[in-house]
Amino acid sequence: MHHLDIAGLDAHYGKMPVLSGIDLTVGRGDIIGLIGPSGSGKSTILRVLMGLLPPSGGTVKLDDEPVNHADRAALRRLRDRIAIVFQQYNLFQNMTVLENVTIAPVKIKKRPRAEVEAEARALLAKVGLGDKLARYPDELSGGQQQRVAIARALALKPEILLLDEVTAALDPELVSEVLDTIRVLAREGMTMLIVSHEMAFIREVASKVVFMADGRVVETGSPAQIFDAPQHQRTRDFVSKILRH
Amino acid sequence: MSYTLQYGQIWPYLPRLFDGAWIALQIAVLAFCGGLAIGTACAAVKSFGPRWLARIVSIYVVFFTNTPQLVQIYFLYFALPDMGVLLSSFAAVLIGMTLNAGAYLTEIQRAGFESRRVSEMEAAEVLGFSRLQQIRYVILPHMARVLFPPLSNHFIIMTLGTSMAAVFGVEELTGQAFNINSQTFRSIEIFSVTAVFYVALTLAASVLLAAIGRYAFRARTGLI
Repeated sequence: MHHLDIAGLDAHYGKMPVLSGIDLTVGRGDIIGLIGPSGSGKSTILRVLMGLLPPSGGTVKLDDEPVNHADRAALRRLRDRIAIVFQQYNLFQNMTVLENVTIAPVKIKKRPRAEVEAEARALLAKVGLGDKLARYPDELSGGQQQRVAIARALALKPEILLLDEVTAALDPELVSEVLDTIRVLAREGMTMLIVSHEMAFIREVASKVVFMADGRVVETGSPAQIFDAPQHQRTRDFVSKILRH
Repeated sequence: MSYTLQYGQIWPYLPRLFDGAWIALQIAVLAFCGGLAIGTACAAVKSFGPRWLARIVSIYVVFFTNTPQLVQIYFLYFALPDMGVLLSSFAAVLIGMTLNAGAYLTEIQRAGFESRRVSEMEAAEVLGFSRLQQIRYVILPHMARVLFPPLSNHFIIMTLGTSMAAVFGVEELTGQAFNINSQTFRSIEIFSVTAVFYVALTLAASVLLAAIGRYAFRARTGLI
């Protein structure tokens, strides 16, 4: 049984197709690296999965259960199990670090505050921000904000974590602190879909790499297959360009 | 020319200046609150409402922000009686300032509505917030924070604008000063003291508002 099974997924922005016939299976504990040029649809897959963009065709199954993205109740159940971290962190600017992490479990899930706060403190300590609980997002560096965003996503105890170019907006010296946090999650067996331009990192942590172009999956394989022996010309072009840097 | 400053002569009149300051503050607060209510409703219409209603709101805003406030109050006080509506001077000033504030606050608040951050709403959406929860926990706090400084500024402007009421015989701060001047003829003394009253009034309001904004909304104003 696949943890997540995407078959024939289509999506449009207005009339423009942005995803065409995406097939992707994700096993429990898999770490999928989604790579490809800008505009190839990597981030769009994550947005469709989370229900931020309605799919126009295809199926998504979570533990073999089809998900109806048009049904708000079904979306709510899905969002209990899948969490996403955005490129721009999207933290709530009017809340402290601790409030950002606790608001959804306390106000939305109605769990007891004391218990949630204890978990949030532990999560924030794990991402290295145990001393920043009372700070506001605009008082933190980009790397710290992104780690808060990861802790906020984890506070809902998701089974699957989607990471949408989480280091793309960061200064180079702040990238490693966020990648270290993701490495810890990888070691703990979290199922993850990672959209990233950090090729060395994808190669290191991913169990499967998906190369996309023009809204389609061009090639799927192990990191070694994709980076060292790509089968398709487009993959070869992309990989050679990236690795030349 | 010899003029000897004699502040002692206006000392007995100070309580009347305090009375006047109190009335000025009342007009400012009432007109501001009324204007805030009008402005919130109109801004919501302009941002989210049907187009025909938004157009009516636009006409109101353009009219009241492009005519002198004094003329607006003159109209209420002198022209309306010809149509059978008789307003006291206090009521005319209050209604005029409220409508004027409503127009300005519409524009200020519309900017707040339109500055709502899509990214934060998306984050709330994927964390499972309902629409109402998004408004309550994300949109409103953000708006309060963004809008507090410009709203505070407008309140200060309105506080000073209450001096216009003197023209209509309302005994607020400027009106009292005018009366005391015509009794004592100590013009320099009385109007300089009146100016100090206004400075004290607006400074106190600024500091109070900045403190509220800082601690309630983390709003940034120049003062605190």
